[in-house]
Amino acid sequence: MSSLLLGMLLAGAMPSADTIVRRADKAVLGDSVTYRLRMSVVRPGRSDRVVEMDGWKKGDDLGLVRYTAPAKERNTAYLRSGDNTWLYLPAGEKVVRVGAKQNFGGGDFSNGDIFRLSLIKDYDPTLVGEETLDGIACFKLELKAKNRSVAYDRVAYWVRSDGTFYPLRADYYTLSGKKLKWLSVTKVAPLGGRERPTLLTMENALEVGARTLLEFLAIQDDARIDDRIFTPSALEKGE
Amino acid sequence: MPRVTSVVILAALCSAPASRAGSRELEAGVEDLWYRTAETPLNRDNILGLDENENLLRGSLSWKQTQGAAKLVFKGFVERSSGADARTTWTARQAYAQYGWGPGVQVRVGKQRLAWGSGFAWNPTNRLEPPKNPANTSLEQQGSLAARLDILPANWAGVILVAAHGETGAGDLPFSVSASERNTGALRARFLVKNTDLAAVVSGGERQPTLLGFDLGRDLGGISIHAEAATYQGSEIQPARPEERFFRLSSGLLWSRGTTSVTAEYFFNGEGYSAVQTRAYLGSLDAAYAAATNPLLPPAAQREALARYGVFASLPFSGGLGLRRHYLYAAWARSEIRGKWTTALRGVVGLSDGGVALTPGLVYAPRSAFTISLDGVILLGPSDSEYRLAPLRGAIQARVKALF
Repeated sequence: MSSLLLGMLLAGAMPSADTIVRRADKAVLGDSVTYRLRMSVVRPGRSDRVVEMDGWKKGDDLGLVRYTAPAKERNTAYLRSGDNTWLYLPAGEKVVRVGAKQNFGGGDFSNGDIFRLSLIKDYDPTLVGEETLDGIACFKLELKAKNRSVAYDRVAYWVRSDGTFYPLRADYYTLSGKKLKWLSVTKVAPLGGRERPTLLTMENALEVGARTLLEFLAIQDDARIDDRIFTPSALEKGE
Repeated sequence: MPRVTSVVILAALCSAPASRAGSRELEAGVEDLWYRTAETPLNRDNILGLDENENLLRGSLSWKQTQGAAKLVFKGFVERSSGADARTTWTARQAYAQYGWGPGVQVRVGKQRLAWGSGFAWNPTNRLEPPKNPANTSLEQQGSLAARLDILPANWAGVILVAAHGETGAGDLPFSVSASERNTGALRARFLVKNTDLAAVVSGGERQPTLLGFDLGRDLGGISIHAEAATYQGSEIQPARPEERFFRLSSGLLWSRGTTSVTAEYFFNGEGYSAVQTRAYLGSLDAAYAAATNPLLPPAAQREALARYGVFASLPFSGGLGLRRHYLYAAWARSEIRGKWTTALRGVVGLSDGGVALTPGLVYAPRSAFTISLDGVILLGPSDSEYRLAPLRGAIQARVKALF
């Protein structure tokens, strides 16, 4: 009897898996947002590769990033619209399709990670329980891919349970159960008018010491963005 | 585009202030294209008057100003050629104005790149722009004077209408080619169907057969694939074959992992010459030149033969997409060391004749806004292959660009 009561109390206090993932989705970037990002690709024994880019995101389906530095890669751009991703190559003035599983900009993030506009769209979440990770209380969730086009088959996902719903860590697995890489949120700071995760690190399980850092340099929430920039036609014209 | 128009547009761009709602990009550079020339069947007794080493030195400027839904772009260069025929020329690669009304309608007017088709090295559906430089397909292309209307009724569909005035000769060569100009109207209807980009194309105009084409692009297990095809009745290159229907197809893939990318593309040129037709073409060249230099013929006949020789010799660089039927393009590129260095190796192989145009390249970006590019062009293969027929032995193309 007492355990049933405790279960009911917990059910009432604990948000659903869907709610946690939705809140975590919005914790970093809002619904209509522009941002500036620095990506550092770290490889053992080699110098870091640093790329800066501007990004635009609208709703769960539309995303665009355009390189601003270094000069030789300037205007290289990735566009995501629904399940489709395109890459613009300025040297040849060409737009080509790319897959969600292909890596983004030579780093450890996949196109699907960068344009993972909504986890809830790509995965079915299950709340496994609560855990303490690095001294921080978290919800632990298991995310199962809804279809094969998604970058990973399974994701173990930790989200802070202190009311902020900041993502803390995600472990990514293949269909065979092999851990491919893991994502950590390594910095939370005020940016764009509120506190939020600003530094994400993706570490590669297949290469010791290989990792890629994504640092948000500026974020503007509630930005007015013209839908036209999210079309292959606009991408083709370097916009 | 006339020089005066280019200067006016440039002046307008320079005077436009950049406001908080707009953005501006300015890039200046120096380009040097050095060519080692040769006497070949296309340049008998050096009739083109080329020095052994020909050089094109350019100062380039690129300016882009965006203001709300409007955009102005200028990309051009001033060029000084070397040798006895040295001269200075001004060229606008692009100079256009663009405006959009809401998310669905956009107009662009002026000299512009149209990026018509998904092919990397060959675009069979593109009658709107000059063909790419056969020796180095990665060079920045010139646009055509055009009016372009983009209509996007939905995210999964779009229509592009273009009226263009363009040239048929390839650019960035150290000699002039006997090319013509043409007015072309074209329509491209694009659709997104089951994660596949599809497009239907129709184009036509003066001095050209009506062309029907299609384009396809999609991702297949991490590899980007594309196919671009066209059909038309009547040949683009001599001899005239008005009753014959021709097909062209370019199909290829792009694979990338980390900072390495590999590209490959096959091109079928339906109106390209067979081995027999190639021998006939070379025979016509020889016959025309023999007549042009035959002192027994009257001067008028010699001049007429010389003009005929000039037209024949320009065929590989004017209008068509190559003399032969089967080609393969392959490219490998890798970015290294803080992304400062990029090495690339590109090559076009004439599968019909064994000719090769090899283009190794190096890009160095010591600072974020500064880039140095160096490409070599090496032409290899049998002496009667298409790339060895060109009056060139090789080239070095250097470009320095600074972004402000």
